[in-house]
Amino acid sequence: MTAITLPHYLVVSAALFSLGMLGILTRRNAVNVLMGVELVLNSANLNLVAFSRFGPGNLNGQLFAVFVIVIAAAEVAVALAIVLTLYRLRRTPNLDEADILKG
Amino acid sequence: MTEVLRSAALFTPEIALTVGLLLVVLVDAFGAPWRNAVGRFLTVATLALALVLAVRLLPAGSHGASIFSGMAVVDPLGVFFKVLLLAASLLTVLLFTFRNSRELFGLGHGEFYALLIAVTLSNLLMAASNDIVMLYLSLEMVSITSYVMVAYMKGDRMSNEASLKYLLFGAVSTGAMLYGLSLLYGMTGTTSLPQIQEFLAGDLSAQSRKAVYLTTFLITAGFGFKVAAVPFHFWCPDVYQGAPTPVTAFLSVAPKAAGFAIMLRFFFGSLAQAGTGPWDLAGTIDWPQLLMVVSVLTMTVGNVAALTQTNMKRLLAYSSIAHAGYIMMGVVALSQNGARGMMIYLAAYLFMNLGAFLVVTLVHLQDGTFDLRDYAGLYRRAPLLTVAMGIFLLSLVGIPPFVGFMGKLYVFAAIVERGPEYWWYAVAGAVNAAIAAFYYFRIMKTMVIDAGNETKPAFPLAFADGAAVFLLAAANLLPLFFWSGIEGWARQSLTLYAGR
Repeated sequence: MTAITLPHYLVVSAALFSLGMLGILTRRNAVNVLMGVELVLNSANLNLVAFSRFGPGNLNGQLFAVFVIVIAAAEVAVALAIVLTLYRLRRTPNLDEADILKG
Repeated sequence: MTEVLRSAALFTPEIALTVGLLLVVLVDAFGAPWRNAVGRFLTVATLALALVLAVRLLPAGSHGASIFSGMAVVDPLGVFFKVLLLAASLLTVLLFTFRNSRELFGLGHGEFYALLIAVTLSNLLMAASNDIVMLYLSLEMVSITSYVMVAYMKGDRMSNEASLKYLLFGAVSTGAMLYGLSLLYGMTGTTSLPQIQEFLAGDLSAQSRKAVYLTTFLITAGFGFKVAAVPFHFWCPDVYQGAPTPVTAFLSVAPKAAGFAIMLRFFFGSLAQAGTGPWDLAGTIDWPQLLMVVSVLTMTVGNVAALTQTNMKRLLAYSSIAHAGYIMMGVVALSQNGARGMMIYLAAYLFMNLGAFLVVTLVHLQDGTFDLRDYAGLYRRAPLLTVAMGIFLLSLVGIPPFVGFMGKLYVFAAIVERGPEYWWYAVAGAVNAAIAAFYYFRIMKTMVIDAGNETKPAFPLAFADGAAVFLLAAANLLPLFFWSGIEGWARQSLTLYAGR
C-alpha cells in the first residue's frame, strides 16, 4: 500500500484536462461542450490544490482554486443564458447548426 | 487594515468606476422616463472622473507601489494603460449613441452602460495585476462581461451566435491558460509575478527550464485569445461581425490594449529581467522565439484573409488581427523601445480604429448595409465622411503624416535595432504592411472611384456625428505637433514595478 503523492494527483488532473478538451472538440451539443469546459477548469483546480498541499507550503494555490470555482460558476451562468437565447431563436442546441457567420 | 487603506488611496479610479456602475444599475431600475439620459450622463461622468483620478495617480505611482498585498501594482506603465483604457471607454460612449447606431436602437440603455463600465473596470484591473491569481481573474472578468455585450441584440441570431462562439473559444483558451498557470505555480511555488522572476533567475536545471517553456505555450493561449492572435483568432471575425458595431469598436481597442498590457506584465515582469537596452531572459527561457512565430503568422493570416472580405465589419476584424501581429513585435523586441512602440501603437490604434468603425456605423444608419459594394459612390453623397474615412484608412495603412505611421515606425525600429538576426522579422512585417495597403486602398477606391448608388438619396449627417468624425480625423493628425510630449510621456511610463 503506497501513499498517494503529488504525481498521482497530477496524472488524474492531466487525464481530466485531456478528457475535457476531447469533450469540447468532439461534442455537438453546446451543453456537453460546457461540461468539457468544466472538466478543464477543475483539472487546473486539482493541480492548484495538490501543489499547494505537497509543494511550497503556502495556501496561494488553494486560494486560487476558490476563485476559479467562482469564475467557473459565473462563466457557466452566462454561457447557459446565451445557449438558451440561441435555443429560443433556432430551436436547436447543436453547435454545428450555428453557422450563419462565416467567410 | 493600514495596508487596505493605503491601497485604497492608490485604487481611486477603480473605486470610482465601481460606484458609478452601481449608480447606473440603480438609476435604470427606477424605470422613470428620464433614466436613459441620466444613465448616459452618469456613465460619462464616472469615466471622466476615473480618468482624472488615474492621471492624478501619476506622481504617487512614479516609483511604483504594490497594493493589496502584492495582488496589483500602481506604476507608470499601469497609469499609462489606465488612462488609455479609460479614454477608449469614454470615446466609445461619446461617439456611439443609441441614436446613431441602428443596431442598438430600441434596446435598453442602462444595461449597456453598466456592462461598459464593468468591462472598463476589469480592463483597469488587468493592466494593474501583478499576481497570476489577479491576472486570471481580471482576464476572465473582461471576457465574461464582453460575452454579454456581444449578445446585446437579444432577438438577433447573429449577435447570439457570435457571443456563443466567443464564449466557447474563450473558455477553451483561458482553460488552457489556467492549466498552464497552475503548473507554473507548482514549479515556482508562488503566484506573484516578481517572485516567479526571482525563482527563474536562480539556479534551474535544463529540465525545469524546458518545463517552464512548455507552460508558457499554454499560458500564451489565454493572451493570444485576448488579443486575437493566430491560432486563437477564429472567434474574432465572427464576433466582430455579429456584435453591435459600437461593441465591436470597443472590443477592438480596449480589451486588446488591456491584453497587451498584461502580456507586458507577464513576459517582461516575470519571464525577463529589466535592463537598460534589450532585457535579459529570466532563466534563459526563449519565449520571444515563440511569440515571433505567433506574430508573423498573425499578421500574415489577418492580412491575407482580409483581402477577399466584402463585409466591412469582417474586413476590419481581419485588419485588427493583423494589427495585433504588428503590436506584438514590441513584446518580441523585449526592450524599453519595444514597449514604448507598443504603447504608442495602441494609443494611435484607438483613434484610427474607432474612427473607421464610427463611419461604418453612420453608413449603416443611413443605408442599412455593411457591404463594401454598397459603399460605391459614397464620395458623391457624403464627401466629408469619405475624406475622414480616407484619413482613418491611411492611418491604418501606416502612411505618414498620420499617427498610424508613428506606431509602426516605433515597433519596427525596436525590432531592427535588436540586430541582424531580427531583420527577417522586420522584413516580414514590412511585406505584410504592403499587403494590407491593398485592401485599405480598395475601400477607398470603392468609395471614390466606383460608380453606383446614384439614385440613393443624399446623406444627411447629424451635427454631433459630423463633429465626432471631424475630431477623430483631427486626432489622427494633430498628435504629431505635440510629438515630443507624447513620446516623453510614453518613455517615462516604461517603468514596471519589479519589487515584491
